[in-house]
Amino acid sequence: MKGPENNVHWWLGVADLLAHGLQHGTVKLKRVHLSLADESFRVLEAIPVTRSGSRVVRVCHHSVSHLSYAAVSMAGRAIAVLAGNASSRRVVAQKYDENVNNS
Amino acid sequence: MVLALSAGKIQQHISAIASGFLGDWLENRGNGLAVPMTLFVDGKPLDVRNPKLDAPGGTLCVSIHGLMELESVWDFPGQAGEHYGTRLAGAMGDTTALKLRFNSGRPIYRNGQDLASLLDQLVARWPVPVERIILLGHSMGGLMIRSACHFGSVQAHSWVGKQLECVYIGSPHDGSWLAIGAHKVAETLNRVPRDYLKVVGEVIDLRSEGIRNLSRGDVFEPGTVEQPLIPEARHYVISGLLAKTENHRVNVMFGDALVHESSVRGARREGWELSGIANFPGVDHIRLAHHPLVCGQLQEWLV
Repeated sequence: MKGPENNVHWWLGVADLLAHGLQHGTVKLKRVHLSLADESFRVLEAIPVTRSGSRVVRVCHHSVSHLSYAAVSMAGRAIAVLAGNASSRRVVAQKYDENVNNS
Repeated sequence: MVLALSAGKIQQHISAIASGFLGDWLENRGNGLAVPMTLFVDGKPLDVRNPKLDAPGGTLCVSIHGLMELESVWDFPGQAGEHYGTRLAGAMGDTTALKLRFNSGRPIYRNGQDLASLLDQLVARWPVPVERIILLGHSMGGLMIRSACHFGSVQAHSWVGKQLECVYIGSPHDGSWLAIGAHKVAETLNRVPRDYLKVVGEVIDLRSEGIRNLSRGDVFEPGTVEQPLIPEARHYVISGLLAKTENHRVNVMFGDALVHESSVRGARREGWELSGIANFPGVDHIRLAHHPLVCGQLQEWLV
């Protein structure tokens, strides 16, 4: 962990990890959210009075949730791609410098 | 200056923890958080290709940390730079104390192979002839020593032929109860037909190969037949226990907090010949790496 070059590589690594965490964490959170919501919707579905209403609410709820989570996940993916690319370029440049110095 | 130093240390600790959890994934991505394998002398990185020291010793004492740890785990509390290696070096003379830092999330056998190659290179380029090598491994570090010894022996590395002494301190040779528990919980949750519980199982399953290896104490490349301790070396085992009374229920349940005493002794392994076994009730898993009683035992065995 020496020098500004390595420090930039380290921070790019943090960004890469956080972005991946955001991307995959959002997908997992969505699954938890929707499966928990389904437990409630299943109860409402079993009651004749609330059955038809709950179906409409379920579709709306799940659609809005899918859209919201997908937007956050895509943002995470975009950051991960950017950080990953920048990090890879830095590693390649570092290896090139090392080879030049060793030769 | 003080701020810059502490920021650097925080970065190192974050890297060590991230590497422990996801080290194999970080390494595959070329992520800057992945910790590279490095040897340190007096707190400074050592260039193994060209080791330059003021007074290189004929005995090398290498301390190898455990999962998610840094080499600083060996330092006695409040005495940075003072550790088992320096105490042994002081008592024996003609000894260089080294500390290893590595990515503890990689599979143990891969770290073991790299350690074996590193030692081979180090011994070949050491400024004076190396006569004796002492390897101290805390927790996962001990498993790495076994792996490196096996690989070095198979590859006929010169360092295996030196007077070799291996000390396993709190090493889970038969697995750690916590790693076994995580494995079982993940397996159970993944079978439950509820998505919100499956997700918890999947998150636990994200753990690195290094952590997975700790559930059974796997140190060899997959497909390799179980090997006994190498006969060229002398092997010592040190365990700790949470409570001071040896047969206390807490000790029976949790051992030193992470590893049971029987696992440290490798009770389920066959054909093990140990030159020394010591147990320290009241010394927990982390304190085993920097405890005066353990230091005294090491001096008794090795000096």
